Amino acid sequence: MHSKSYRIVILSLYVALALIFSYIESFIPLPMPIPGAKLGLTNIITLISLLTLGWPLTLLVVISRIFLTGFIFGSLSSIFYSLSGGLLSLLVMTLLLLFKKNKPSLLFISIFGAVSHNLGQVLMAGLILENVNIILYYSPPLMLLAIPTGLFVGLITKELMRLLNKTTIFKRLNPSDNKIQ
Amino acid sequence: MKKDELLVIIILVAVSLGGIALFSIFNPANSSLSVRITHHGEVIAVLPISEDHQMILQDENGYNGIVIQDNTVEISEANCPEQICVNTHAISSPGETIVCLPHELIIEVIKGKY
Repeated sequence: MHSKSYRIVILSLYVALALIFSYIESFIPLPMPIPGAKLGLTNIITLISLLTLGWPLTLLVVISRIFLTGFIFGSLSSIFYSLSGGLLSLLVMTLLLLFKKNKPSLLFISIFGAVSHNLGQVLMAGLILENVNIILYYSPPLMLLAIPTGLFVGLITKELMRLLNKTTIFKRLNPSDNKIQ
Repeated sequence: MKKDELLVIIILVAVSLGGIALFSIFNPANSSLSVRITHHGEVIAVLPISEDHQMILQDENGYNGIVIQDNTVEISEANCPEQICVNTHAISSPGETIVCLPHELIIEVIKGKY
């Protein structure tokens, strides 16, 4: 298959998987200390996409996923909250990956992705509701909660990348870029 | 994970724990507390937390039932999709909030009389 069409296939696969993950996530009855907090399973896809396709295409994956989940399961306001979290977390993870010299580990990137995702959403909520108090009240506990959830997502992604690298799926993308552990 | 990364994460834990501590220090328990209800960016009611009260807020988007009881406030029922406000535990300390994002409703415990 032509390399360009191959990329499009992989990209659509990521969007579909991210959609399924965010749907599955709503079924997991995980008791969270803060109501509404989630594990962030879709970040597995964002991370894998970031490692295999690079940030410009991952931006496309993230935006498509957010608009699709928003239109299918959520509302217009939920799209704004997802965008603020998703884009901030993508920005932070992309910047971390640019540190070629002192290569950050996948777990570290995942944790900071989770932390920035939560902060982005709280900032957006504070902005929309014009209330500083809720930012001060929710940011610290949500940051703390993002560390274990980010670690969990990072561990899954690491194992998944290890297994997927054994296959030939990523060989035709850019094989040099996906060797981050 | 590397050593310096672990250090950064420990700092992150410390910062968030410090943030939680600072928040409770700056919002000490006070004898007279009130409940402030903000709907669509406007304060619609400030009620004493010590007096039991029930109300239902209704608008074109939906409704939220607010219950003040035994010096705590909670949202008892709502028709928002994720029910996050209903699942939030009852609040009683100054600075604590319950938010219903889809209905743009904020309930805060504040210091001072109404």
